[in-house]
Amino acid sequence: MIEVQRVSKTYARGVYALRDLSLQIGKGDFVFLTGPSGAGKSTLLRLLLRRDVPSDGQLIVGGRNLAELTPRQVQAYRRSVGFVFQDFKLLQKKTLLENVAFVPRVLGIGASQQQRRTFQVLKWVGLQHRMSAYPMELSGGEQQRVAIARAIVNDPLIILADEPTGNLDPDLSLEIMNLFREINARGTTVVVATHDRELIRRVGRRSVTLDHGQIVETT
Amino acid sequence: MHALRYFFSEAAASLMRGPVASALAILTISTGIFVLGVFLVVNANFQRVVDRWSQSAELSIYLADDVTPDQLAGIDQVTSRSGLVAHQEYVSREQALSRFKTDFPDLAGAAGNLESNPLPASFELQLKADVRESTIAVDGLVSTLNGTPGVADVRYDREWLARLNTVVRIGRIVATGIVILLAIAAAMTVSNVVRLTAAARRDEIEIMQLVGAPFAFVRGPFVAEGILQGGLGAVVALIALTFAFYFVRTKFTALTFLAPPMAAGLILGGILLGCIGGYVVARRVR
Repeated sequence: MIEVQRVSKTYARGVYALRDLSLQIGKGDFVFLTGPSGAGKSTLLRLLLRRDVPSDGQLIVGGRNLAELTPRQVQAYRRSVGFVFQDFKLLQKKTLLENVAFVPRVLGIGASQQQRRTFQVLKWVGLQHRMSAYPMELSGGEQQRVAIARAIVNDPLIILADEPTGNLDPDLSLEIMNLFREINARGTTVVVATHDRELIRRVGRRSVTLDHGQIVETT
Repeated sequence: MHALRYFFSEAAASLMRGPVASALAILTISTGIFVLGVFLVVNANFQRVVDRWSQSAELSIYLADDVTPDQLAGIDQVTSRSGLVAHQEYVSREQALSRFKTDFPDLAGAAGNLESNPLPASFELQLKADVRESTIAVDGLVSTLNGTPGVADVRYDREWLARLNTVVRIGRIVATGIVILLAIAAAMTVSNVVRLTAAARRDEIEIMQLVGAPFAFVRGPFVAEGILQGGLGAVVALIALTFAFYFVRTKFTALTFLAPPMAAGLILGGILLGCIGGYVVARRVR
């Protein structure tokens, strides 16, 4: 599903964010990327989301080299990827319903299907009773559940999550991870970047540890 | 249809979010279109007056006192063969005196005291509308007539008409320049206001980009916002122009307003300006 082939990413003044990194993630896998701050976890997710391209090496997802995609192909690719960020990235002036429905709406999906899908995913994350609330009225855990609902409303093949529990306490973090496990159980590939080793231990899935842009441990 | 509804609902919400900036853009567009409208009204009315003056302008062929019937036929032949004449009328010496007395009643008594009629007979010509500004053709006719036997003098009020036309043409060029500058200023204002909107909506745009929304969905609301601003600006300008027109017409009753297609053109012009302003910003969003 995801093949990272000797990928390097350098920024200004030749600083390496990733250095000659190779990794394979199969379809339906659940993988944690872990390591200290600056290890390269977020950079790898940026590349996987095609917000950036490698300086060297190849990143193949679903048989497509991400660096060679045209702008329109990038759009098509991103429709197959759901994303979740530490800061939730919810639209503060929109209700929960609008935040989640925003995705099918801007993808041109019909109104009735928008409503059906949105309701389904909000119900799945347990927030169907708060659909008309605004993000500011929710707790951190609830906001992240909305972000997860938004990530899966388009039924993506891959979910990328960058420190999704960074702002949450341990119990809420586990609750969020359980949602990811359920998503994964339906066949969706899940890649979660986190520095929370305790959480990884409790969830008990494959983890890839990065440091200074290189893989230092795989368990 | 779904997309258009989305574009315009987002654009309307955006206008409401920044009412002052939006009002400024609408005002700038309406100023530009108002000036354009004033120019068009003035131009249309001025052109009407100039046309009327031009139509009444005559080429007068004064005949020698001893002109013979053959010479009259020769003159007639020259004018009719020129292809420039729309209407031709022979004015006898008696008719000329009669007209003089009618046109200048104060001098009628003095004219009656003269021993003989001093006014010559003449042909009064009206030129065809399409040749009126053709200096070379009219000059050629005047020159031919001057050399035709039986012609004492030829008078054509071409010069002042030419001057009038030059003034009108310069006026049009200056006004067009002003309108173009105002149009550019209006489009730039829309562009800046829409850019502010883009900054305010950057989170939304980022999410749209991340979920792979088509470019049209990302950019559409900006173009729609420009269209709304431009259209509203044009409507405001047209309302202001209507009020100004009826106010001025209390003093100049003969004035006429813009023809409906021209008014519709102004609205479309405003929409187009707004569209350009919005598109300038939208095409930068990738």
